[in-house]
Amino acid sequence: MSATQALTPPPSSIRSAKQRDSIRSWPLADRVAYLLCWIVGIGLCLMAAAIVLFMLVKGVSYLRPSLLIEHPSASQNQAASGGFLDPIEGTLILTAIGIAIAAPLGVGLAVWMSEYQRPAWLARLVESGIEMIAGAPSVLLAMFGLALFARPALAFLSQTSAGGSVFGRSFLTAGAMMSLLALPLVVASTREALLQVPAHVREASYALGKTKATTIRKVLLPSVRPSIANGVTLGVGRIVGDTAIVVILLGATIRLEGAGGAPLLSTLRGTGGTLTSYVLFNSPAGEGNAHEKAYAAAFVLLLMVLLLNVIVMRLNSSRAGTGQSLGASSRWRVMTGALPWIR
Amino acid sequence: MLKSLLSGRTFRDLLGDGAPAAERRTELALRTLAVGVLVVILGIAIVVFSKAWPSFSHNGLSWFGSGGDVDTQFEAMINGPRDPANYVYHFKAWPLIWATILTSGLAVIFGMVISILAAVFVVELAPARVKRAIDPTIRLLAGVPSVVYGLIGILAIAPWVEHNFISQQRKRSVEYVVQLTGANLSVAVLILTVMIVPIMVAIIAGALESVPRSWTEGSAALGVNRWRTTWRVSLRTVRPAIVAAAVLATARALGEAIMLAMVAGSRGFSPNPLDGTTFLFEPVRPLAATIVHYVEDLNVVPVEHTLYAMAAVLLVSCALLSLAGWAAKQPMKRYGIRT
Amino acid sequence: MRRPTRTLTVSLIAALALAAPAAAGARALLIDGSTSVFPLMTQLAAAYHKATKAPTPKINQGTSDVGVSDVAAGRVDIGDVSRNPEEGDPKGLVFTKIARDGVCMITNPKNPISNLNQQTVQAIFTGDVREWSEVPGAKISGPIDLVDRIASSGTQAAFQDIFLGESLKISPSAEAEESNGLVQNKVKTDENAIGFVSFAFTSGVNPVGYQGIPCTLQNAKSGQYQGVRNFWMVTKGAPKGPAKKFIEWIVSSKNATARKIINSEWIAVH
Repeated sequence: MSATQALTPPPSSIRSAKQRDSIRSWPLADRVAYLLCWIVGIGLCLMAAAIVLFMLVKGVSYLRPSLLIEHPSASQNQAASGGFLDPIEGTLILTAIGIAIAAPLGVGLAVWMSEYQRPAWLARLVESGIEMIAGAPSVLLAMFGLALFARPALAFLSQTSAGGSVFGRSFLTAGAMMSLLALPLVVASTREALLQVPAHVREASYALGKTKATTIRKVLLPSVRPSIANGVTLGVGRIVGDTAIVVILLGATIRLEGAGGAPLLSTLRGTGGTLTSYVLFNSPAGEGNAHEKAYAAAFVLLLMVLLLNVIVMRLNSSRAGTGQSLGASSRWRVMTGALPWIR
Repeated sequence: MLKSLLSGRTFRDLLGDGAPAAERRTELALRTLAVGVLVVILGIAIVVFSKAWPSFSHNGLSWFGSGGDVDTQFEAMINGPRDPANYVYHFKAWPLIWATILTSGLAVIFGMVISILAAVFVVELAPARVKRAIDPTIRLLAGVPSVVYGLIGILAIAPWVEHNFISQQRKRSVEYVVQLTGANLSVAVLILTVMIVPIMVAIIAGALESVPRSWTEGSAALGVNRWRTTWRVSLRTVRPAIVAAAVLATARALGEAIMLAMVAGSRGFSPNPLDGTTFLFEPVRPLAATIVHYVEDLNVVPVEHTLYAMAAVLLVSCALLSLAGWAAKQPMKRYGIRT
Repeated sequence: MRRPTRTLTVSLIAALALAAPAAAGARALLIDGSTSVFPLMTQLAAAYHKATKAPTPKINQGTSDVGVSDVAAGRVDIGDVSRNPEEGDPKGLVFTKIARDGVCMITNPKNPISNLNQQTVQAIFTGDVREWSEVPGAKISGPIDLVDRIASSGTQAAFQDIFLGESLKISPSAEAEESNGLVQNKVKTDENAIGFVSFAFTSGVNPVGYQGIPCTLQNAKSGQYQGVRNFWMVTKGAPKGPAKKFIEWIVSSKNATARKIINSEWIAVH
């Protein structure tokens, strides 16, 4: 490219000749494939636009600000009464618990996988293990949680009924399983970034006499903070959007039902619902039979996801600004939270 | 092995042996975390299989066979006797397994074709402005919760399909076996494809962008047109990523419970390809969706064991899927393609 | 880093210590179960709160079987059930009758059948008859779209008992809906549909008479309409404490408020 720029431009008659490879000269099969690519590409954009616009129209027509601050009412006419304050609270509480567990565990795991990795067979196993958790359906995790938390030893996490059986469904138990959903995303994002920190940074720290643990705590982790935030945001997105664990492990009641006792603990050990289970409840697949509310709640959910995406984009652009630049392929990988261990 | 697992004595580093106790404690703590992950996975397998065992042991291999209507069998369990000696365990899951194979298989096949074309479009053919708009769009689509897709499906797409494609004549042709509604196989496959395409496009596009430019430029220098370069050089190079995308998408499709529970129909029916086009409009209910559908009856013990049996089948298929993906990428290592 | 860690540990232990004993405060009653009883129970709960200032009982749905098993497992205080006790029910439960309710068959307003006899009803719902043209009194032609309820529904159990008898079962190819409201929706939008709902859900659809008697509240109260079943409130053992107060408030013969609510769309028995 630079070589041609150094020469004087050719006469206009030659310059007007087509430089690029014209599709008219291609064999039919190639032309059809090219056209298909365009059709599919434009189709994808159109479909995305259609989904967003449809939800926008329905959401705006059914969402009233009062819905956001009213509690759901237990009346027969769900469509005309009550709001979804409780489901919103439920989403926030559940996400907070899930991330509170997943973030430290994920960062710790990522640190171990990139800095220590001993014994080697354990490192390989753990890597496959995280991949397996990432690929596990949330229904499976929910069923596991149900069986696990019904044991009397873990009864403090939920309610125990008068008959002696442990209910096993509460914000704490559902939050624990949600953390498994977010864990691979936090691990992947942090690990990717840690591996990109150049060796000389670590070596400089050791040369100054710092121990490995201090290096990790004071040098490496602060430098990969944007990636940790990125992973955490992706994890939050996944938690917010999950329904199966909520329906199975949270009791899926439309209001927050406390377990009795100290106020905060009562809510955490009690059952409730989130926006996702509320949408399911009011759709034709649940008993609420109020599709207007379902649309409104789904719209709020979509806005939350959009907000999280914007945050991720901001974090990535700020990361590029601080010199921790990624190659194009890594950008795609990390931005979409897809499996980064596919190298 | 246990000793090496627990002790910090394998710690060899620039700092040499005799590292301070804090160092060893840190490594031990983090290693325990790592072992904890493995313990969790082992725990999942043990718990699910131990709860699933009674259903398998009562039915044997015929659990996977066909015969009878799945919902009637569940009803027999729910309304059956409540004393342990007489639990009704009879269950034949083939309609559910066939439904899972159909929905996931069709969705992944359509999804792969669409994603490869779309990824090529995004990376090679799209104008710069369109490309800048597509990045966040694909990320948004990948993040839309499945319950929103299910809502759109059941409130907008299913009635449209019912209105336009399910005529009385079509209903009559299968009326002795099943009732046709808008919630059927075609809507399920359509929405499932829409759900898995963004993930696949993201992975394949990411891999396409990392194909060395010298390879594509060399091909263009030899006079190969742009499409053929992409097809013969870039896409061949990213075959491991395509395999990985397919594995990931299949895993997502297998595990998709909520959207399919809302959209795919209320009976666990086994669609019959011999019905011609009506085959596309018959209700289906895959395994994961059935688990969600019957989870409120979990306190009935036979139902609980049957649902865990289905979860066990899901677990095994996801594990086999990862294994298949790993195996599919092995031959590609021969050609020096980064896997 | 030592002091913050210590504070964190201490507060965590304190929090867990708080979790251990579950104080029995003035907790609201937890009720779930039948979707048919739900409209009645929500009204009764609101009236109870207004009359006695006790916390409003919290009511969820689920279907009758869910109510029975939840109360047997102790997850709720009271279960709502809209079918009679069955032999498959867990032991030790006490059923208290609170009302009676009519079950109507419904069709789309475009198909206003006024009456069906027992034979036709059985033929339609077991799947022997699949076309509207074979049904006397039908105003449309086309295949019959049967709408059923899911297996755990008490309304379905009551319908099978009353209209189909011991030996016949609803055709397995029927579409199964989660609640009364959804059956009502389906029949409202599909002109070939026929289903059955609790009497409170018959607005906007055509209720079909049975054996020559129209399905109205009056006929149900007088006993002429046969399709009537019981509403029960189920407790584990005899009702105790707040549950006992609530149930006694409902069934008390001196309670005019409760009787008025019940008589609006159901049949009072006390």
